[in-house]
Amino acid sequence: MKSKALSILLSVSMVAAALTGCSVSTDTGETTPSTDGAGTETGTDTTGSTENKTETTDTSTASADEEEITWVFWDDLEASTDQMTQLYAQTVERFNAEDNGYHVNVITTNLEEYDSKVNALIAAGDTPDLLICNPGPNADVYVDAGVVQPLNQYLDADPEWRDSFAGGMFDRVTYGSDIYGIPTNFAAACCFYNTEMFEAAGISEVPSDMEGFLDACAKLKEAGYTPLTCSASTAWCLSMIAGYCMNREGVDTEALNAGTAHWTDENCVKGVEDLVAISKFFQDTYLGDSNDDATAHFYNEEAAILIQGSWCIAQMNGNSATIEDKCGVFSFPSVDGSIGDMIVKTDNVLMSATTEHPEACVAFLKMLTDETAQKATAEQAGKIPVTKVEVDTSKAPKQFGYVSDLLANLTGTIGFYNESLVSVEAGDTFDNNMVSIVMGDETIEEGLQNIEDFYKENAWQ
Amino acid sequence: MNKALRDKKAILFFILPAALLFTLVLFGPILYAGYISLCDWNALSKPKFIGLKNFKALFTKDDVFLTSLKNSIFFMIFSLVTQQIIGLILAAILSGLRYGKNVYKNIIYLPCVLSSAALGLLFSFILKPNMGLNQLLAIFGIQGPNWLMSVNGYIPLTMWVIGVVALWIYVGTTMMLYMAGIAGIDKSLLEAAYIDGAGKTKTFWHVTLPLLKPMARTTISLTCIGSLKFFDLVYNMTQGGPNNKTQTMATWLYFEGFSYFKYGYASAISIVLLIMCLLVTFIINRCISVKDFEN
Repeated sequence: MKSKALSILLSVSMVAAALTGCSVSTDTGETTPSTDGAGTETGTDTTGSTENKTETTDTSTASADEEEITWVFWDDLEASTDQMTQLYAQTVERFNAEDNGYHVNVITTNLEEYDSKVNALIAAGDTPDLLICNPGPNADVYVDAGVVQPLNQYLDADPEWRDSFAGGMFDRVTYGSDIYGIPTNFAAACCFYNTEMFEAAGISEVPSDMEGFLDACAKLKEAGYTPLTCSASTAWCLSMIAGYCMNREGVDTEALNAGTAHWTDENCVKGVEDLVAISKFFQDTYLGDSNDDATAHFYNEEAAILIQGSWCIAQMNGNSATIEDKCGVFSFPSVDGSIGDMIVKTDNVLMSATTEHPEACVAFLKMLTDETAQKATAEQAGKIPVTKVEVDTSKAPKQFGYVSDLLANLTGTIGFYNESLVSVEAGDTFDNNMVSIVMGDETIEEGLQNIEDFYKENAWQ
Repeated sequence: MNKALRDKKAILFFILPAALLFTLVLFGPILYAGYISLCDWNALSKPKFIGLKNFKALFTKDDVFLTSLKNSIFFMIFSLVTQQIIGLILAAILSGLRYGKNVYKNIIYLPCVLSSAALGLLFSFILKPNMGLNQLLAIFGIQGPNWLMSVNGYIPLTMWVIGVVALWIYVGTTMMLYMAGIAGIDKSLLEAAYIDGAGKTKTFWHVTLPLLKPMARTTISLTCIGSLKFFDLVYNMTQGGPNNKTQTMATWLYFEGFSYFKYGYASAISIVLLIMCLLVTFIINRCISVKDFEN
């Protein structure tokens, strides 16, 4: 009898232990504050799941009477040297320190895996309360599937908050009349250049047309500098330049998406020809360099020009004490020297349609866009605020002023190509074929034909 | 014992937990994946039954899948040949050592106990163009290739590099299994061969090797199935790039599912992968016949 009972007990324990491995962990981990203020993971995940185990950054644990919300973020809030990320961490700390009855728990992951992780959470029915998201196809999927909810009612309920945003900020997160995301900062893709290298190479004026740009690169090369730094390993870095080149040749992504223009059209071919011409001036290691490596080449003063979104200001200045004084900014050149469109984007926070704590989420969204956070966005991180906030430009990084000047004169904006095409897969197809063309694995015609074929098969039907 | 085996309730009692577990964590998901593979499903809405369209698209329209199939088969053959030969040689050498056997065994086996994802990241750093191996080669005036961004040839250099890293990680497992096999051989058989005048090489070739057939079947099956399912190293070293040239079936499945929300299509890839694993296991079991020499 005793042995029977023991065997039953053991069998039940075995089944229970094994089944815990099948459960889906929604536990994002807990952190307890250490004396130095840094969170220390106590690892409360007892499910045994390591797949969804993510680092958790937090300033305190939620007390029993606090409403806890989860926010998925694409960088490590504790370890990152990026000043924008540090600013988000400060905002989280500020939110959790306030006696507002709410607590935000941040799930962090690295940028490369971010979309896949969020998609996996959503597919598993564990949509976080808040998620940061680029505008474009991923957001489109979430909106179409009803994973995230419109925020109009919350904006309308607080007209002061709604009206604090600068004009056009909601454009890329508006579907019909519904606003699905709250932008937290705004960035534009520009050419950052090392003024000392330009001077040493005898370049007195920044180039405004493609011919002048290629001439400047040739002069820099002659002077012994690496003219341009770029990453092909992080494909979107290269395709961002491709997007600019195509835009300058008159390519219209909306027409491509609608099927009224074709990837094999002459202007697309010309755009990619420009890209190939520019790529001749990349650093030798561009094929294997990641985005961070490419940016580091610039702030370590190993390359003269970096074509990148203005979010890199925070990264550059966070890693180099000297680059701010030597860094100038100019717009990506147009074909004829006119002012062309600028690639811009906002980082947006979307709210789950199934969140049980919408008020807490909205309170956090308001804090991300309040005066303190938005002033710091410009003054600390060098990114463009999304609200009409007074910025003390003397406190902001110098590059912020240069980017602001460019934005003041711009004639139009476009989205990142990989975020403006019909789907995430279309964006990846574009990115990958641009890399293949530049590295010589495909001819321009072959690469564009591949994208055309993808569109015929997946978009234009 | 016989009494217990006649007790159907006892048999049921002992089988039930395992049967339940298998159904819940293995057969259930496989059947569900089989159903989903016949659907157009993005995991956010109801699955739409489309028959065999996903499978047809895989083999007729998806060039990346065909590349991933080629790469997975390459990994299987490369791992099979290299791991079996090197693992067996290492096992034979270490089994014959009098001193230091455990030290060498632990050193060779060490990569197996480390996270292959972490090792993948480590090698992606080592093989970066501006650090690690290429910097070392530069000291000797040699310009190293782009180890992880090469696309030339039917099997690009990057695939060979990942294969070699996988060999370094997993050869220890094959070696350990063969060492266990060698340790299990009755010493009297080897002594009889020595008495009959056979040297060490002849004894290994004609006595040890045939007796290792059951273990060979096991290790070959494990290597083949493991290679076909190859994911973590590729994902961490190249993410399937450049331009999907290093995708394997497992990584492509992951991208189709988790990046593009094409879960029906990803399930179809998983079913093809499952069929390939079963097929390979069947072929291995048919081709390697095992006889009980010792009894």
